[in-house]
Amino acid sequence: MTIITSGLFWFILGILFCIALVGFKIWMEDRGVKMVWWKWGLTVIWIAFAGFAIAFAGVSIGENEMTAAGMGGLIFGIAVIVSGFIFWRLLHLGKA
Amino acid sequence: MSNNKTPEQLNRRKFLKVAGAASAAAGGLGIGLWSVESGKDPMSHTGEESFQGATQYFNRTKFEVDLPPYEKIGPTRRVDARTEVIFSRIGRLRQEWDDENGIDGLSDDLKAYYEKHPHYLKSDLEYFREVLPKWREDRQKYQDKYVLTHAWNNAMGSVWPPGIPDSEPPEIADFPWTAPGQLARKYKMKSPEKTAELIKQMAYQFGSTLVGITKLNPDWVYKHTMRNRGIDVNKPLDVPEHWEYAIVVGTPMSWDPFYANPTYGSSRESYAKTRIAAYRLAAFIKELGYAARPHTPAGDYDLMVVPIAIDAGLAEQGRHGVLVTPEMGSNIRPAVVTTNIPVKTDKPISFGVEDFCRTCKICADQCPTGAISTEDKVEVRGYRRWQIDISKCHNFWYSNLGNVGCRLCLTSCPYSRKSNWLHRGAMKVSANDPTGLSHGILTDLQQRFYPAPDAEKYFIPSMGGSNASYRKPPHWLQVDEYIDFSGGAK
Ligand code: SF4
Ligand code: SF4
Repeated sequence: MTIITSGLFWFILGILFCIALVGFKIWMEDRGVKMVWWKWGLTVIWIAFAGFAIAFAGVSIGENEMTAAGMGGLIFGIAVIVSGFIFWRLLHLGKA
Repeated sequence: MSNNKTPEQLNRRKFLKVAGAASAAAGGLGIGLWSVESGKDPMSHTGEESFQGATQYFNRTKFEVDLPPYEKIGPTRRVDARTEVIFSRIGRLRQEWDDENGIDGLSDDLKAYYEKHPHYLKSDLEYFREVLPKWREDRQKYQDKYVLTHAWNNAMGSVWPPGIPDSEPPEIADFPWTAPGQLARKYKMKSPEKTAELIKQMAYQFGSTLVGITKLNPDWVYKHTMRNRGIDVNKPLDVPEHWEYAIVVGTPMSWDPFYANPTYGSSRESYAKTRIAAYRLAAFIKELGYAARPHTPAGDYDLMVVPIAIDAGLAEQGRHGVLVTPEMGSNIRPAVVTTNIPVKTDKPISFGVEDFCRTCKICADQCPTGAISTEDKVEVRGYRRWQIDISKCHNFWYSNLGNVGCRLCLTSCPYSRKSNWLHRGAMKVSANDPTGLSHGILTDLQQRFYPAPDAEKYFIPSMGGSNASYRKPPHWLQVDEYIDFSGGAK
């Protein structure tokens, strides 16, 4: 077991995401966007999706499956960008 | 803290405090869970992962069914291995065939079999007339390329428990004799449940990766066996009473060569591991005073292993005719130990393979000889099942310049992907999808994301192919990296 595949990795990752979300909230407030429950929901879904896209490409590279890494990275990457754009607009609904 | 903060700053501080506390609590819980998990994780038993059952991770309980996922649709008939098992049949054909007398020169049962299945006669004769000469021709040209994989394959098969002697019938060979007429002490076991637990733990200790237990269905025992093993192949076999239970063990083939089938993979590698595990398990059961008989690769069977492994809940049958397990897909070589030790049996499982195979057909596309049907299941000896043309398959095994066999259908099966979060996740989605919608999507993704050579490329050059393999071989089987052929051997 390496540090990357150990639970410690996920523990550290969890802390980092917590801090990142706190920073995100403050940043959105500065932009006049109030983060309500459904906006958090969208944010978490997008983060999970973006994480999946990166992980898909990464695991495929690790498996030496370059076609899967390339096609998956491209398809999921585009989907992440498009959904990110849509979600971003939704987060700004009701902006003060 | 000074008091000259604006209310907004104070709120932010408060929030950060709460977030910090929540992070700390979550982190503490995370560390706790992680440390417990890391303490008991069998993968932390360095080098012993496969001896601890850690690789049989799939929770079968949810997928258990009362009846195996194949259908009995008519009167059943046991296999006559003398004609229906390709190795026996082709061996006999080699000995008995002469061009002058043709089919009339064959033994009655072989002649009757070929009269009923003329396409098998054509295909079996092709083996001698076309496949072998072409293989010999190409072997001269290309054999150096496969020196390392041949050497590895032969070395893996060099430790091989000797088979059951021809002179010992099951009532002798299967029992623990301490002296002529004297059986070893039979220990009373606490319960069938505890015996199952013990047998499974021992099977892992003996090197098996998966293990399952079932009552032996006599339909799976050969009517006429393929090898002597103390049983006269020409007399119908009455299933011995002490073949009451069947314990199925199995091991995978090494990943990298398996992924470079048909040329670089080795069946023998895993045959040896499985055979050793089965012989050890039989020896262990005999030490407790009970009867036990291993039925193992290569060819030392008195029964059909695939349906028994399905009955024992290890797998379902795939379109390619062999096993699809939840853990290793089709990358498994099984064996059986028949025994009379009272033991709790497992239930068969149904985790969506049957439905997946109806849409998938990847193995059929990859099969160089077209041995795998794209049609639905057929009736075979009273059961509805997937059936392949074993004669075509066999001919490809022996045209291969790498290690005998092909195994492409095992490699290309989407269930045979690596055991990581991505493929385990995909398998779980498919297993838990009652609609079958995901099956088409996953098959499509498999074909697009994991492309493979066209099937005809797998043939040897004299048969129109280019010795292709599914993926590149690992560096440790590539001769150019290790062997200097400049002396002219090439
Ligand atoms: S082992 Fe090869 S030839 Fe035989 S059925 Fe599978 S893919 Fe076809
Ligand atoms: S490759 Fe597809 S059709 Fe063939 S056994 Fe595997 S899942 Fe079934």
